[in-house]
Amino acid sequence: MPHENILHRGTVRMKKMLISLIVMIVAVSCNAGREKIYRDSRIAMDTIVTISVVTGDRTQAKTAIDRAFAEIERISALIDFFSDNSELSLINRNAGKRPVRVSPETLELVTHAMDIARETGGAFDPTVGAVSVLWDFTNRIKPDRKELKERLKLVSYRNVVVDSNRETVFLKKEGMMMDLGGIAKGYAADRAVDILKEDGIKAALVAVAGDIRGYGLRPDGRPWMVGLQDPRPASATQNILAAFPLHDMAVSTSGDYQRYFESEGRRYHHLLVPSTGMPSTECQSVSVITERATLTDALSTAVFIMGPEKGLAFLKKKGYEGVIVDYYGRIHVTEGIRDVIEIKRPGPDNDRS
Amino acid sequence: MLSRLRDLARTTTGADRVLLVSLLALSIYGLFFVQSVMPKGTDVVIEVDGKKTHRLPLGQDRVITVHGREGRTVVEIKGGRVRVTESACPNRICIKQGWIDRGAIVCLPNRVVVSVRNESGGESELDAVSR
Repeated sequence: MPHENILHRGTVRMKKMLISLIVMIVAVSCNAGREKIYRDSRIAMDTIVTISVVTGDRTQAKTAIDRAFAEIERISALIDFFSDNSELSLINRNAGKRPVRVSPETLELVTHAMDIARETGGAFDPTVGAVSVLWDFTNRIKPDRKELKERLKLVSYRNVVVDSNRETVFLKKEGMMMDLGGIAKGYAADRAVDILKEDGIKAALVAVAGDIRGYGLRPDGRPWMVGLQDPRPASATQNILAAFPLHDMAVSTSGDYQRYFESEGRRYHHLLVPSTGMPSTECQSVSVITERATLTDALSTAVFIMGPEKGLAFLKKKGYEGVIVDYYGRIHVTEGIRDVIEIKRPGPDNDRS
Repeated sequence: MLSRLRDLARTTTGADRVLLVSLLALSIYGLFFVQSVMPKGTDVVIEVDGKKTHRLPLGQDRVITVHGREGRTVVEIKGGRVRVTESACPNRICIKQGWIDRGAIVCLPNRVVVSVRNESGGESELDAVSR
């Protein structure tokens, strides 16, 4: 019988080989099923938040993602500029009156904002709220010049007093308004990453709109690939300026295309120079890359305000990486990422110096 | 059919059969694995014996013939999809897989891999976009 032949010849050695083969295939299959990207997008902080985690455990993924979203919601509720119930509103309502006791998270975020304001010489200033409320980009409303001039007196981070012992924040002048919108999304992304790490997630990517923080590697062993929006895209599908691997880093982008209107041939956008209350005209977009999203979020705004020349010098001096698209659409890339970044926009006018 | 099996049993050793089974299992496994991992894309990449031989747009209809270990493999690109129409391999899994517009067709015996990739600047290859 041929079947008997097959079964009996070879015997022990063949059985051993077969068993090891089966073990090998099962091992390979299980491993492939284990490492997977679980991704969830939800609306939070008035934007789309996407969290991707790498794990083999579906339940772990769901729990960690839920907890991370809850943390983002919690942070959002504390520092919402437009909500009367937030701690930030309480600080603003008590401007010129009294210091306000706040949660450790709000205190931490305000402290970060003040550090960055000092570091950037006020190019990033959380008290710009007093003039930013005069602009309405949806309804194309520019501020009245007189009113703008008057309100500019209320813009200065030097008039913010943070008392870390008493855990209070105080705005010295009545009418001052702190707006943490230029740093809060980055901070939320950092907090979400802390939660994911606590939950034992080995690799994840958190994107709070354009404020993105990633750590670890994808299941295929490669780092996360992140694109930068082209501020003047050739078409709806060709909208990526550049792409680069984001390995244990964060990136944020500030652009004049995010919130703006055009009037009499001029573009009015939301990135205001704290000293004038008017939109900065030197750049189209700025992306900053460094370890924490709290930093990249605030610094992308600051470097945008500084302009390409001062901005590049600042990034170089501080050891941060970045991509600047200047007023003329020229692309400037810092030295540290020149080898890994891939410019996706076709064109000869890319200044890589 | 039975006589063929008998021939096979006579002419092959245990190791041969293990190899045969493992190749078959790997190619079936590869089929599912690659399909689940690869993103939807716009370029067709053909590799023979681990070397890239062609990179062609998925949107352009054409027929390509490559030569692998066992012989010819004919690849057809049409209407934004790609398939293998002819192959010198014995199992013909690659032909049976039919049309694909993402993932890959792996012909292990002939060492031919036909994959659909997106590396030409689209967003789908990116994990996130900072805007």
